[in-house]
Amino acid sequence: MTVVLDRVSKSFGRVEVLRELDVATGDGEFLVLLGASGSGKTTALRMIAGLESTTSGRVLIGERDVTQVLPKNRDVAMVFQSYALYPHKSVAENIGYPLRVRGQSTSEIDRQVNEVASQVQLDKLLGRYPRQLSGGQRQRVALARAMVRRPAAFLMDEPLSNLDAKLRGHMRTELRRMQHDLGITTVYVTHDQIEAMTLADRVAILEQGVLQQLGTPREIYEDPANLFVAGFIGSPPMNQLRGRHENGRFVNSAGTIDTGLQRTLDSVTLGIRPEDCRIVDASQGTLTGRLYALELIGDHVLASVTLDGSTPQVHTGKTDAFITADTFAVKMPKDYSAPIDARVDISVAREGIRLFAANGERLRR
Amino acid sequence: MSDRRLGEMSPLTKIVVYGLLIGWSLIVLFPLYWVLITSVKLPGQVGDGPDYLPFIDFTPSLHAWRYIFVDLGSDTFRPYLNSVIIAGASTVLAMAVGACAAYALARLHFRPRLLSIGLFLVCLGLGVWMIGSGLVGWPIAAASGVAIFVISVLALSRVRSPRLGNSDILFWVISQRILPPVVAALPIYIMFQQIGILDTHLAIILTYTTVNMPIVVWLMYDFFAAIPIDIEESAELDGASRFRIFREMVLPLAKPGLAATSLLVLILSWNEYLLALFLSTARAQTIPLLVAAQNATRGPQWWYMSVLIVIMIVPVVLLTILLQRLIAKGLLLGAVKG
Repeated sequence: MTVVLDRVSKSFGRVEVLRELDVATGDGEFLVLLGASGSGKTTALRMIAGLESTTSGRVLIGERDVTQVLPKNRDVAMVFQSYALYPHKSVAENIGYPLRVRGQSTSEIDRQVNEVASQVQLDKLLGRYPRQLSGGQRQRVALARAMVRRPAAFLMDEPLSNLDAKLRGHMRTELRRMQHDLGITTVYVTHDQIEAMTLADRVAILEQGVLQQLGTPREIYEDPANLFVAGFIGSPPMNQLRGRHENGRFVNSAGTIDTGLQRTLDSVTLGIRPEDCRIVDASQGTLTGRLYALELIGDHVLASVTLDGSTPQVHTGKTDAFITADTFAVKMPKDYSAPIDARVDISVAREGIRLFAANGERLRR
Repeated sequence: MSDRRLGEMSPLTKIVVYGLLIGWSLIVLFPLYWVLITSVKLPGQVGDGPDYLPFIDFTPSLHAWRYIFVDLGSDTFRPYLNSVIIAGASTVLAMAVGACAAYALARLHFRPRLLSIGLFLVCLGLGVWMIGSGLVGWPIAAASGVAIFVISVLALSRVRSPRLGNSDILFWVISQRILPPVVAALPIYIMFQQIGILDTHLAIILTYTTVNMPIVVWLMYDFFAAIPIDIEESAELDGASRFRIFREMVLPLAKPGLAATSLLVLILSWNEYLLALFLSTARAQTIPLLVAAQNATRGPQWWYMSVLIVIMIVPVVLLTILLQRLIAKGLLLGAVKG
């Protein structure tokens, strides 16, 4: 069953939360809605569920226009960030509740509950109550409750965000596997780009209610549609240099890079990922600067370089403003070492260059 | 200073704390004890002075108890039964209506138009004037008031008007209780007299329900609002109707709140004196009235009064003990991630 958001907009009073969101999943696809808080991703999910109305646009599940249909008749199951388990009911009663509401017989409910419980390894915990369970166990109860209905689509609102890092990694794999085995279309909301990259068949990146890009993980990594996507995906983020472009070359205070693009632009941003750069011997590279810091990550060393001509930048994040030296990140082999403040040259792989116009849009040839 | 575990009190602190607690317990419990022993004193002994120890200071006697239960018999039993019926029924009604109203205010979004409210007030005034001027009887006046209101609201449904919200409705409901009920005692009396239900259970039950419902809404609103909305949304997606969610999810999770509120309302109704005095004469008399009636021409008969007070207190104390466990239990542990 496919899920379609057909040019959906949502405003709360005068505040526009989603603008003309147009997304369609394939049948059985794992679609991730990725974005920071306030991007509108949870609102979009709740509109698929029917917990929020649309200001304009349609929601379709399969061929059915469900825009005006009540949540309970949409045949979707949702896993909430808080799991939303019923605290006064046992695990078995929690899982069986959707079936009980539909009026199925007790024996039938028991059979299906046991079946799903063994799939998520909850068969020994059926008599317990939510307050007696660990975080991971509660999450599995929430999953089981969603699975037992065999819905047309799963909706998941950051279900892994409350688990510790190790359990999160384990559950990611389990979730992916489960979705693959069941073949049920899943729309998954997260702010964690690693979750998005590892779980998704396709990712829809949202920022302030506007869809930035819809593509496979590889597409959004290799072929970002704009500066926001380029800076959001990838850890550490893509390096961004501002400068001019003329005669097939990008010109910046730190150096000149051949791009082969025949365009003349006064203001352009060049993006290059740390793994597409190398610190090379003097006068062999195209950018020059001083080594700011070295970090041993484990399998590689992350070198931060202050390029010539760059001034300390004021970065205004969502919660604070901080001043940093504008550093350029380069991934080096794990045995690389050099004195801090040494002068270094950086060479850049041409196939890794991504150019962006002044408005942030990606420049393609 | 000897080594102490974190949180353990020093002996001196323990003495002070326990001393204060015992002292306060004595202050609270002594009046109850006093009432109890007064009920077993002879009339002469009550006036003799502070004698508190039975068999030592005075000889207890059951004469007052005998009088109240045997001699007066049904004259005691009837008010007692009336109190039970009236307090019980009004509590149940107030809780039923108030809880539904509180849930609606907590979860649904109302935006009444100022225009409609204005029309309602106008029609209300119109109805009152019609009755007051004696032109028509009250049924016709009420019916025409309602009809005019409905028609005018429908006719003006397209007219734009500023809107109020849930918090306004909530405040309005709660503000009904700010007015001391006794202010409305005379109008209520006349109203029941006109309808012909003075001195009946129904009249007092209706009055108590109306007076206590705002309190129920006020308290239950907070309890309902505190239930994580995730749980209700999850049940909604699982296929439950709104009423089913209320019955199976919200009410069980609000049990401590329901217990506490119903106990409060029961106590208020059980002890209420002034409105019962106005609205009853003989048949619907409640226990507080009987207690006050012991104040005869020769002065207050403390011994009879004490017996009545004791039997008046006992049910409420028992109920509180029964419900106290429920009130203290925390039911929401483990539902939400916490």
